[in-house]
Parts: sequence; C-alpha cells; structure tokens
Amino acid sequence: MKVGIPQGLLYYKYHPFLITFFSELGAEIITSVNTNKEVLDAGVKYCVDEACLPIKIFHGHISFLKDKCDIIVIPRLMQLHKNEYICPKFCGLPEMVLNSIPNMPKTITAPIYASSKRKLYYWAKSSGKLFTKNNLKIKGAFMKALDKQEKHKTGINDKKYELKVALSGHPYNIYDNYVNMNVIKKLNNLGVGVITEEYMDTNLINTEAKNLYKKPFWTFARNNYGFTVNASKNKEVGGIVYISSFNCGIDSVIVELIKDRICDFPFLILKIDEQTGEAGINTRLEAFVDMLERRYEIESNISTNG
Amino acid sequence: MKVTFPQMGNIYLAAKVLCEGLGIEYVIPPQNSRNALNIGSLHSPEEMCLPFKIMIGNYIQAIKQGADTVILTGSCGPCRFGEYCELQMNLLKKLGYNLEFIVIDMPKDIGIKELYKRITRFSLNSKKSKYKKTKALLDAIKVMNLMDDIEASAHNLAGYEKIKGNCKSLLNNCKTDALKCKSPLEMINLLIDYKHKINHISIDINKNPLKVAIIGEIYTVIEPFSNLCIEDKLMDYGVSTKRKLTPSWWIKNTALSPTKLNSIDIKKGSKEYLPLYIGGHARECIGEAVLAYEDNFDGAIQIFPMGCMPEIVSKSILPTISKDKDFPIMSLVVDEMTGEAGYITRIEAFIDLLERRQKDVLLRC
Repeated sequence: MKVGIPQGLLYYKYHPFLITFFSELGAEIITSVNTNKEVLDAGVKYCVDEACLPIKIFHGHISFLKDKCDIIVIPRLMQLHKNEYICPKFCGLPEMVLNSIPNMPKTITAPIYASSKRKLYYWAKSSGKLFTKNNLKIKGAFMKALDKQEKHKTGINDKKYELKVALSGHPYNIYDNYVNMNVIKKLNNLGVGVITEEYMDTNLINTEAKNLYKKPFWTFARNNYGFTVNASKNKEVGGIVYISSFNCGIDSVIVELIKDRICDFPFLILKIDEQTGEAGINTRLEAFVDMLERRYEIESNISTNG
Repeated sequence: MKVTFPQMGNIYLAAKVLCEGLGIEYVIPPQNSRNALNIGSLHSPEEMCLPFKIMIGNYIQAIKQGADTVILTGSCGPCRFGEYCELQMNLLKKLGYNLEFIVIDMPKDIGIKELYKRITRFSLNSKKSKYKKTKALLDAIKVMNLMDDIEASAHNLAGYEKIKGNCKSLLNNCKTDALKCKSPLEMINLLIDYKHKINHISIDINKNPLKVAIIGEIYTVIEPFSNLCIEDKLMDYGVSTKRKLTPSWWIKNTALSPTKLNSIDIKKGSKEYLPLYIGGHARECIGEAVLAYEDNFDGAIQIFPMGCMPEIVSKSILPTISKDKDFPIMSLVVDEMTGEAGYITRIEAFIDLLERRQKDVLLRC
C-alpha cells in the first residue's frame, strides 16, 4: 500500500516517527515535494480564505499527494504535553482538509495524544490496524519509530559568527525555506548566525513560562515565549527574529507577551503570508542587521575604565 | 471594591442582580457602541479578535466611572479567549490603570482550591449571610433564564406578529425597564410579567415566515453591537430567528460538562462532520447547523470575528453540510472594519434567496 505523508506543518519535527512507523509496517512511503509555488497555489485554491498560511500550504501538500497514493496520513495532533494544545485548527485539520479538497483517497485521521507513550500507542494501534492484524508487529514498528524520533535532532546553532540572533516562531515557519524565503541563509549572508529554541535548556524555558499569570495552554506559546525571553537576557544573542504567519491567533498573543517582557531588546517580527514579497523581507532584514551591528560596535567601544 | 464586567448580550442584567443581592458596589459599562470599539481598537494588539477589543473599550469606560475590579470568565481550551485575561491585565497596566482581575476558570484547569480562593476574593466584600449569597446567585441565574426566554420568544414570534414591530418594541421596553429595577425581586417580577406579555402577543398562526438559525462564535452571536444587530434587522424583515447559544445555555453547558451530559443533541448532530471538541464553539456551530436543517429551518447564518481559530474550521465544514442537505448557510465575518452597508446587502440577498426557495420559484423549473 502507498502511504502519503504531506510535508506540511509539523512534518519537519516528526517525520522520522511517521516514516519509520509506516515503512516498518510494510507500506511504501510517498512524501510530497518541498513546498513550492504549485503547492502554495493549490493550497490557496482549496483552503478557506481565513485560514493561516501554514494551513493553506498543508492543503497544497495534500492536493499534491491525493492522486499518487492509496492512503494519506493527516496527523490530527491534539496534544504534545499534558494539558497543552497546539491550536484549534490542528484539532480540526482532517475535517478542514476532507471538506475542502474533493475526491480524496482514504485517510488516517485518528487523534494523536503524544503526552505519554501509552496514549501515543493508541494512535499507533488504530492506524496500524489498516496494515496488519498482528499486534506485535505494530508494537515493534511503534518502538522503532519512537527510537528513530528520539535520535532525530532539529535545530540550528551557528558557531562561526560573531553576531547571533535568536530565530523564533513555529517550526513550520522556521524550517520551511520556501515559506520564509530562506531567512536563515539570508541572515548568514549578512554575517549573522542563528540559534533556535532546540538549543536552549528546556528547564530554562519552562521556568520562564511559569512567570506568566496564566499557565500557557499552547505548547508553542510556552516554547516560544520561554525561549525568546531567555534569549533576550542572554549576552550571546544580539537580537530576536520572530517569523509569524499573518492572522496566526497564537502569535497574536505570544508576540504581545514577549514585547511586554523584553522591553527595548531588538525584536523583529517578520509577517509572512501568500502575498509577501521577497524584496520587503530583504529590506527589513538588512535594516535590522545594520541596527544590530551598530549596537554591537557601540557596546564593544565602551571604555573598560568606565 | 467596585466591580465591573465586560458587556456581553444580556449578562449585565444578571450581573446587576448578583451584585445587588451581594451588596457589592458595581459599575455597568455603557452599552457597546462605536465609542467602546474605537477605544478598544486604539489600545489592543492589531491581530487580536473583535471581542477582545470591545472588552478593552468596556473596561476603560467603566474605569472612568470608578470601577477597580474586573470579573471575567476564563477557559484553558485551545481558543484565544483563555489568554484574554493575561493580555488585558498587561495592557491596562501599561496604560496606567490599576485594576484587579478576578478570573473565574473551570475547576479542572486551576484546581478547586484556587477557584474557591478567587470566588472568596470576590464575595468577601459582601457582608451578607451565606444563605443570602446563595440566594443572590440563584436570583441572577433566574434573571438570565427569564431574559433569554423572553428574547427567544420575541425573535421567534417576530415572524408571526399581526402588528409589525410589536415584538421588537416589547423586547426593547423590557430591557430598558429591567435596567431601572431597584431590587432583584422587582426585576424578576417584571421579567415574569414581560414573559407573559410576549407570549400573548397577537399573532397570525397561518403565516409561514422564513426561519433562520443564527450560529457561530458565542460572543459575536449574543452581543448585538458586534454583529451589527443582525437579529433586530431580521425581526424588521419579519423573519423568525433562533439561536441556541445564550448565556443561560453557556452556564448549563459548563456546569454539566464534567458529567458529559451537556448538549447531547448538538453532539449527536455534529457527530458526522466534527466528532471532537476542538475548542471554542466550533462543534456547537456544526451541530446547530445540522439541527436547524432537521428542524425544518430555511437557512442558517454563521457569524464569527475575523481570525477566530475554531470558527475557521467550522467555516470549512459548513459548505459540505450545505451541499449534502441542500440547506443554505451564509458565513459573515465581523471586525472593527465591517461596513454596515455591505453587511446589510448580504443579509438581504440571503433572505431573498431563502424567500425564492420557499416559493419554489427557481427550484424546480
């Protein structure tokens, strides 16, 4: 059986798990291409107008896959941690896709609760049943997939640059180079290194999030807030670049919380949607880096005698 | 302590009764208006949803009248509403207002102890006995139920009334009179009186008016200002409307949710299209659309604020329901930039469509 896995949303973080699990069960894996113009256009065509860019792109990936495979995985990621969610659109993702794209093949849409191994196994069991009746085989594939996932590390920490920025935002905006117009490469070309949240101690992130009045109930809110605020205290980083998709409900909250906390630390928000022009992004990045460099020079010129 | 609360449909009447029963000083923010929204959108983050902006306007107007404590219900679901309190606290602090927030969250999210602490923070200022406090709460709930009943009857009977505008004027009179009441008992009696009046309005039972269900996000549905008074407009056109989401429904639903006995009909209706709760009132929206079809309504109108995450999901499902069941559904998105003329045009066009379908002009030719 050909299993289609769309390269959208959290694919960048969790693809080893999905790919290993289904290939261990004897399926042939077909992943969609990297995001490109056709994918984006198809997504914009099929998805409701009000949705955010990552969701539209996900629709594009599904429409790319739909005639090429027998069954498509639509990961309905409900929870990654206890009492935390991703976003309502993630919970209703299969419904959005199935009601927007016509002539869909069979799909796997069981909810994924990844807060514990046992809960995640429920998903594996119900999805694995479509391929084999052998519970042992499913369990084996599941363990192997988990193992692969644990060994898989994402994240960027550039070493050889004098000036560094913290790159924050949702993983699907940071790692999809078509969507963010190669922002990492652009920063590197301007002589600026990048560090992402994976290289920060999770304890630091969590303690920072605990300072909030209300316990954040979005996983990305906790991560991005904790990471960005910590990075602003950190001498290693000169500024923060936050990639946010237009009309993202979660970002509209996180960005405000961050702004409130970091005061005048350099903070650039890059808003992206299907109509963002590359020239505008370049200009803003260059201006931001110019500003950081000037700050850096002034700071290093201060006489040590006080 | 002088408490205030955001304006949201008829909740101010229940809150008035509650505060009076407890003997606490309170400020009712002025009715929502362009002014409140302007103040709110001036200070709020640009991409926040409409209810947030109107609420900020409410607070600032109430502060000018001396309020120093805000009572707000909360949630820890995936929808943005749960984060309102944090942002609003920061925002008002930055503006230089010293305001205390009492957030009433669900006990399963913050723990029963914390909830108790927050409620006592509120009721400590009342010198009434425990019996009187409970009585005040029950009175408030009673007022809310009565008011929602009256409103529902008025919206339903507007299509059948003999003298045009009867229901609307009665409803408006009821609201103004209720606000003038001096004591909880007086208000309850008044509302019972009005309930009787509205149910005995002279109607023409042979009429066959259009019936439209109002569905969507709870705040924009129950707060007339935010949906540009859609229900009043439909009453003027002689359309019977019905909406399930009301403050009293919300209380009942919240209270029953731990037992999972809440809104069984909605759950059943939405099972085919959206089998899981995804936050906000998306599942209710889908369920109500299906129920409206089953109850032989002519159409449904979905209203939600721009960028509302759960309703975007339901908006992508509604066309399928509409196609499957041959049931017209229109989605209206509101935000601070919504123009009234364009909005009215769309409602009128939708009503025209429903009228023609009812008369079978185009359907089977």
